Amino acid sequence: MGKLLIKNGTLVLTQSGITTDADLLVENGIITRIEAGLHDPKAEVINASGCLVGPGFINLHVHFREPGEENKEDLQSGSQAAAKGGFSSVLCMPNTCPPLDTPLLIRYLGLRTREIGLVNIYSSAAISVGLVGKAMTEFGLLKEAGARVLSDDGKCIQDSRLLYRALTYARYFDLPFLLHEEDENIAGEGQVSEGEMAVKMGYRVIPRVAEDSIMARDLVLARATGARVHFTHLSTAFSVDLLAFFQEKGAQVSADVTPHHLLLTDESIVPYGSHAKMKPPLRGQADISALKEGIRRGVIRFLASDHAPHAVEDKEGDFNEATFGISNLEITIPLYVKALVDDGTLDWVELWKRLSFFPAEFLGLPEKGILKVGKDADLTIVDPDTHYQVKVEEFVSKGKNCPFDGWQLRGWPIYTIVNGKIIMRDLQLEP
Amino acid sequence: MVKWKHRHLLGIDNLSVDEIRYLLEKGNCYRDFLEQSPKGTTTLQGYYLINLFFEASTRTRTSFEMAAKLLGMEVVNFSIDISSVQKGESFRDTVRTLARMKADALVVRHRSSGIPLYLSQFLPFHIINAGDGMREHPTQALLDLLTMKRAGIDFSQMTVAIVGDILHSRVARSLSIGLKKLGSRVILSGPPTLIPVGIEVLGAQVVYPVEEAMKRADIVYLLRIQKERQEAGYFPSEKEYARFFGLKKNLLSHQGQLKMIMHPGPVNRGLEVASALVEGENSFIEEQVTCGLAVRMAVLETLIREGRSDG
Repeated sequence: MGKLLIKNGTLVLTQSGITTDADLLVENGIITRIEAGLHDPKAEVINASGCLVGPGFINLHVHFREPGEENKEDLQSGSQAAAKGGFSSVLCMPNTCPPLDTPLLIRYLGLRTREIGLVNIYSSAAISVGLVGKAMTEFGLLKEAGARVLSDDGKCIQDSRLLYRALTYARYFDLPFLLHEEDENIAGEGQVSEGEMAVKMGYRVIPRVAEDSIMARDLVLARATGARVHFTHLSTAFSVDLLAFFQEKGAQVSADVTPHHLLLTDESIVPYGSHAKMKPPLRGQADISALKEGIRRGVIRFLASDHAPHAVEDKEGDFNEATFGISNLEITIPLYVKALVDDGTLDWVELWKRLSFFPAEFLGLPEKGILKVGKDADLTIVDPDTHYQVKVEEFVSKGKNCPFDGWQLRGWPIYTIVNGKIIMRDLQLEP
Repeated sequence: MVKWKHRHLLGIDNLSVDEIRYLLEKGNCYRDFLEQSPKGTTTLQGYYLINLFFEASTRTRTSFEMAAKLLGMEVVNFSIDISSVQKGESFRDTVRTLARMKADALVVRHRSSGIPLYLSQFLPFHIINAGDGMREHPTQALLDLLTMKRAGIDFSQMTVAIVGDILHSRVARSLSIGLKKLGSRVILSGPPTLIPVGIEVLGAQVVYPVEEAMKRADIVYLLRIQKERQEAGYFPSEKEYARFFGLKKNLLSHQGQLKMIMHPGPVNRGLEVASALVEGENSFIEEQVTCGLAVRMAVLETLIREGRSDG
């Protein structure tokens, strides 16, 4: 592993919340010097003039579909999509086939990650055996095998006693939870958010209370048990109020959003059809405003993707039969720039923190998410002024199910560096 | 000399420190006596004991039966499958029928906490609690204390770690209460789902992880894990329990000698404790059984010979 010198960039110091103009030297996968005017004739030089250089982005919510649904995505194509999107680390959700509910499968993911050798793939393990919400999995053995988070994502545990026991039991192993909130009895066969659009189109609805009521339950359980609980892909205005209330009460609770829940509303099902169908469903403008306010205030401290690739045929035909979810890993950063930086909700440093520093902390990765001498050289370089049009057919992800095709976006990652190695340069994967 | 004032043995909680020491002293003598042969006595000849077990038990029932017979008592075993007994009046009728049988002492085990106390309020027998629900199992605690005492333990200098299903365990409650009365430190550990909120009321401290609790203790007391606890979702699998909450290797105390390993039995080998340790040099699990016999002799003799007053 050689040396890498990143010159003339603006460094994003996530730990202190400031930027500074300096050069950065990487040796053997570690940041070894941060100073102005560095020279090293033996190092490969990247000229980052006009660019932001920060810790590699860490994504808390992706679906790489392996094992079992490799026609939608696999760990190789998913890793490539992550690299293109500026992510040096991702957290995979366990709703594969079979689900990641045994130590064996968690170890398999670890082995495949090393074999592929692109981004760091961390795995969440299922909370319940088979993701069916009946019995807990072996949290301790799963953690030993490498699981960092517990989640039944894609499903929501309906049995309150099971979740109560799981939250209590997991404290012993200090494993955090990542919860997809949906009361399945209320959501039923729902396809879209409640509201005028659902009425006009004649679709069954997933009302906001399907999310809010379960979230309220789980906030109570989190507070009572002292467990660390993270709520993923918030979509409603009231969920932000609930979260803020319990944070004030001292519960160890946090949340993320997706870029699409900030940029699209339920009206998007008209132009985009099933590409605008996901769980939770796209909501209204008032929800978007509340989510952004929650992000601005720091109630919502994380930004993720919920990258949910599907095969073309999964999204064709009957809207009601189409699968839920969109593919967005390669454009998550410019989408967030549009959603949050352009309107002044967050500045670049704050945006970066929520995509690296906080996720690293959540995953228990003290060597990542920070730009500092001695830390891992997982780095992303973003050119804030690059404007490109989204071309979904050029996605390296197998999932082309994305409503943002043709959108003009700015602020694209132009380098992704993992462990001191360049894996993406000028928006192209390194050969 | 203790003036014994209890007609019944309902729980360790009811006993004073002196009363516990008195029973242990007697139990100690009986333990020595058990090494003799022949060992039948006529101490309680002509007295009748009814063993009334509403919960399946072989070990405790046999231990009481043996203890009573060694003292010359007659024993009637009355095992009732709880499913065949209806609730409410019929339970009361069952025991009122028993009341007319004119026995002297009644050993009772029941799945409901508080049954021995309830029976003591109207049955004309000495009632001995052989385990009531999740509340008390006083003769188990006494036999554990006797085992420790005979191992030369100074109670005031000792820390005992009780590990496992504290939530459902009457053994953990009775033993913790007894140990605290004798001046020992008690620490509890196990899966957090099996440690009840408020357990500190027993004077015990909860310590995580299990390794840390075991490290701090002179005696490691492992509780039996009932298979139905896993089915009820308190922990995910026996494999995981054994890996994280079971005792797998011998531990040294701070004085450098092997720690005492105890278990109320029956042991799930390889689950609460590694199989090799069950019969290891620092295992007192078998000695506990014999001490159980001795302590029950002491309890029967004391209650019947001295327990005239109410209380």
